[in-house]
Amino acid sequence: MISRFGAELVTAVIATVFGLTVTLGALEFGIGWSPSGPEPGAFPFYIGLLITAAGLGIIIQTLVQKRSSGEAFLTAEQLRAVASFTLPIIALVVVSPWLGLYVSMALYLFFTMTVQGGYRIYMAALVGIGMAVFMYVVLEIGFKTPLLKGPLENALGL
Amino acid sequence: MEGLASLLHGFSVALTAHHIILMMIGVLLGILVGVLPGLGAPNGVSLLLPLTFTMDPVAAIILLTSMYWGALFGGSTTSILFNIPGEPSSVATTFDGYPLAKKGHATEALSYAFLSAGFGALLGVIIITLLSGWVARFAMQFSPAEYFAVYFLAFASFVGLGGANPLKTIVAIGTGFALAAAGMDSVSGNLRLTYGFDQLIAGISFLVAVIGLFGLGELIITIEDGLRLEGLRARISLWQVLKTAAQMPRYWVALLRSGLVGCWMGITPGGPTAASFMSYGLAKRFSRRRENFGKGEPEGIISPETADHAAGTSAMLPMLALGVPGSATAAVMLGGLMIWGLNPGPMLFIERPDFVWGLIASMYLGNVVAVILVLSTVPFFAAILRIPFSIMGPAIVVVCLVGAYTVGNREFDLWLLLVFGAVGYAFKKLDYPIAPLVLAMVIGDKAEDTFRQSLIMSKGSLSIFWSNSLVATLMVLACLLLILPVVLPYIRALLRRAAPAQ
Repeated sequence: MISRFGAELVTAVIATVFGLTVTLGALEFGIGWSPSGPEPGAFPFYIGLLITAAGLGIIIQTLVQKRSSGEAFLTAEQLRAVASFTLPIIALVVVSPWLGLYVSMALYLFFTMTVQGGYRIYMAALVGIGMAVFMYVVLEIGFKTPLLKGPLENALGL
Repeated sequence: MEGLASLLHGFSVALTAHHIILMMIGVLLGILVGVLPGLGAPNGVSLLLPLTFTMDPVAAIILLTSMYWGALFGGSTTSILFNIPGEPSSVATTFDGYPLAKKGHATEALSYAFLSAGFGALLGVIIITLLSGWVARFAMQFSPAEYFAVYFLAFASFVGLGGANPLKTIVAIGTGFALAAAGMDSVSGNLRLTYGFDQLIAGISFLVAVIGLFGLGELIITIEDGLRLEGLRARISLWQVLKTAAQMPRYWVALLRSGLVGCWMGITPGGPTAASFMSYGLAKRFSRRRENFGKGEPEGIISPETADHAAGTSAMLPMLALGVPGSATAAVMLGGLMIWGLNPGPMLFIERPDFVWGLIASMYLGNVVAVILVLSTVPFFAAILRIPFSIMGPAIVVVCLVGAYTVGNREFDLWLLLVFGAVGYAFKKLDYPIAPLVLAMVIGDKAEDTFRQSLIMSKGSLSIFWSNSLVATLMVLACLLLILPVVLPYIRALLRRAAPAQ
């Protein structure tokens, strides 16, 4: 189980680090005054400081209040559900540069429907291929918008 | 009566067969994204926006705004039939809408919702028609300092009135500004905050952010809850609709009050969600049938629905006239306007009156089309919701990925989408507000430009933000809103002490 307290703390720390990153990144471009007005880094610099300050504020708030200490952010069961939903999405993004988005999306739908949804193979194949064909018709033919393509599209000469 | 003439001209622009077909497509797509979990008005519009880059701006904005109206209506359908709000702004509709439908009065519940929503929307459009020209003319005299003050006021009102933890709101706003700053600096032409990543040179697209934050983030939350659909069957009979419509005038007080609450919250960036909750709360407090709330009271449907749509519509007023969007969806559309090469703000009324008034005229028509279409398609969209989530969820994921890719044809955007999905999920679960982040991302560059231009005019002195009564008033108002969350508990405590033993 992940506690709400821990999740609050981690998020606030990430926000603080993000704020510091912006602040330091902005320093590179000058934060002072130049003949043509404020230097490019000035605005991001103060925005970064603002995020850092608010992030630190949330950390202190979380530690002092402890109101959320007993609460669960994610139970073990929920964590499993979230992981089984998100991991295939990450896999989809990883393979799409090689296979193209059309083939990857068909495989992704096929996988989630058979392995996770418990559908029959022909049904899953139908939905997967149907989705890819539908997207192709809408995007490439309807709106003339190209999508990431892979070896299959090249072989088919599309 | 100059507004009326402009409006008539607008109708002549909007009323073409092409535009009306686009309107219907937009409304239907909107209902679809409104009905589906994980998709809603902001990311629905974001998904469609890249496909409109080549369209004529008038046609494109009609398509996108119609989608917005459709999404607002679609969200209410699921609230009433499934007890699942399709949109955050229709959460309050579930309180009484679902109970009334469960009693076997689904048609009445839906009709109350759609008719009052239509009323709220029309009220919003009338406000826009009456005020926008005037606001734009007033804003013509704004210098960069006044513009910066208006932006500042918009963000201050998120902190002061948004209802979320003020520190979390500040983190959200700051993050939006920081993301907007990455890439090319529009004033000096320098590259900023790229940290050596070539992919960041072109900046971070707010469209990818919206699709990730609202789309993927929301889907993960849905998954975690273990979506359980218990839909009620609804067959819409025209007779029932008309009978319900005849009941509507009895609720004129609730309609007007909610409409005004909605318009106010829409113009000041409170947004539709806050408006619907506030309106529901007010209705409950002032109703004579208070004990019936939560059990299927029509007033409990009418109030949040009217306010939701009035706010959603009137959020377009500051977007058009000032270039400051009143809701996340309006922010996305504002970004779209800039991509189409239009410059939102008062000059738009002078440079492109056909665009502005065509849009306003299309809002009247679009909402009428939306009410008719949504009533006639309820059974169809209810059937879509019965498709198991193990197909629907992954299909929506695919749509989000494709949408993110079409924004700029970049693989990098797919990874950004995943990151924004994770951020959206964490923000949602930990009550960080997302709308201010989107607003900051879209108008971040403009806010920064106005700030820098003001300082250039004053040669670096911050006193320019107090240099005349208008800008000073705006800044003081904004500062008051900023300290509101800090002082409010003390004011409450004082009031309680002042009025003891009641």
